[in-house]
Amino acid sequence: MTGISIHELGVAFSAKDGRVIAVDGVTQEVPERGFVSIVGPSGCGKSTLLSVIAGLYAPTSGHVEVGGRRVTGPDRAVGVMFQEDSTLPWKTVLENVRFPLQVAKVPKSEQLTRAQQAIDLVGLGGFERRHPAELSGGMRQRVALARTLAMRPSVMLMDEPFAALDQQTRLLLGAEVLRIWRETHQTVLFVTHDISEAILLSQQVWVMSYRPGRIIDVVDVDLPEDRDASVVATPAFNALQNRVWEVLQAESMRGFAQENAVPASGVPAS
Amino acid sequence: MTATVSQPPAGGRVLAGSVGVAVAAVVLWEIGSHLSFVIPPPLDTARALAADLTDALFLVNLRETMLAATAAFLLSAAIGGLIGLGLGLSRVARLLLSPIVTAMNGVPKIVLYPILLPVFHLGYGSKIVMGVLFGLFPVLINVMTGVQQIPSVYWRLARSVRAGRWQTLRHILLPAIRGPLLTGVRLAISLSLVGVVLSEFFATKYGLGRVVLRSYSAGDYPNMMGTILLLIAVSFVLSLLLWRMERRVR
Repeated sequence: MTGISIHELGVAFSAKDGRVIAVDGVTQEVPERGFVSIVGPSGCGKSTLLSVIAGLYAPTSGHVEVGGRRVTGPDRAVGVMFQEDSTLPWKTVLENVRFPLQVAKVPKSEQLTRAQQAIDLVGLGGFERRHPAELSGGMRQRVALARTLAMRPSVMLMDEPFAALDQQTRLLLGAEVLRIWRETHQTVLFVTHDISEAILLSQQVWVMSYRPGRIIDVVDVDLPEDRDASVVATPAFNALQNRVWEVLQAESMRGFAQENAVPASGVPAS
Repeated sequence: MTATVSQPPAGGRVLAGSVGVAVAAVVLWEIGSHLSFVIPPPLDTARALAADLTDALFLVNLRETMLAATAAFLLSAAIGGLIGLGLGLSRVARLLLSPIVTAMNGVPKIVLYPILLPVFHLGYGSKIVMGVLFGLFPVLINVMTGVQQIPSVYWRLARSVRAGRWQTLRHILLPAIRGPLLTGVRLAISLSLVGVVLSEFFATKYGLGRVVLRSYSAGDYPNMMGTILLLIAVSFVLSLLLWRMERRVR
């Protein structure tokens, strides 16, 4: 029972240009062991939504339940992966992956076995004693992934984890995430701005609008469960991509116009 | 890390260069000693220093200065570190207190001496406080900036795995600021010594600053120069050791 349910969630904060409604009236459900992606134009509240589910940020209204329990703060059964490089440069790969287990006071021998398993799972075997500075950006995100997996969370929240990487590495790591998800059966909520990444990985895609951030479309991905990157070339994939793109294009244009709006003469201030 | 980076074959040349500079300095010093009577020749200075180092009273003075400088340094590191940590972590504290920090850092510390003297008295007290005034700010400012520059994602990581205050301190905060902390500590070591010796110029019974001043008044220039040389050497060696440590952690 570790699905995610979001009830009438709203998040607003004050910024320089007034009150920003980042998330507005979102009510959605991620089924247990489901893999759902959120796509949306940059600046929409997708990362904020994820932070609220992770318990890192308090909502203005509504609430979130993970596994039937209301979220009031961070939970060790909920793993979070960040967009920025979050590997700690003074720790080796092994120490980085061990870190949450150490914090949770897991017995030391178990820390080492679990960290090693997670390292092997993401394909970093042999790099245990390296420091992040010796690794590429893609490998560092693997370290972050292994660190999240080492806690054996039942829910994984991933906030554009591969956004800073090049296209090939991103596809490769996406395929790894999919493989790991099939092995570990976690509930995954994945935020991205890349439509093809979203469709390739998930069972369902939520399209989010520019401010106020609402879920404006929910697309079920009826592609084979055991798909790999080659599915990108199929007509079915294309049809899905077009559908999401149509919705998103209008939103991106609106977001772009809004961000670049200058209160020109003749336009009455609201 | 076992990886070795190939060094340019300049080790020998660098050493030769350093020796060359040292020799040139001594030669210039010798020439200078013939131009001004306040500058004693290098050889006389070395002799005076060697004699001093076996002199009981000089050793008392040396011990006095070193004890005061050590105390001042330890207090600088502790107080500067704690205040820097507090200011780095709290935006409100920074807004409220950074004007005072900036003002105090900008003041030539020695003008505060007349205020310190009656409060902390002649002996160790006022010397140590002066040393702390000199040594405190580099630690404080480096730690404060270091804490502010910690990437925000590290804090989010700590929160997401529910790390406690001490765990966050041990695993994230301290390792993240070890570079700036060591820089501050390195500067504090020599500056605390500066503060202590400077205050010894004004009013105290014992101390190397006192020795320098008394030798000057007595026209005993080799003795004065020898003591100055000793102070330079101590500060140089300590800074060098810390500088090496600093390079290792980077």
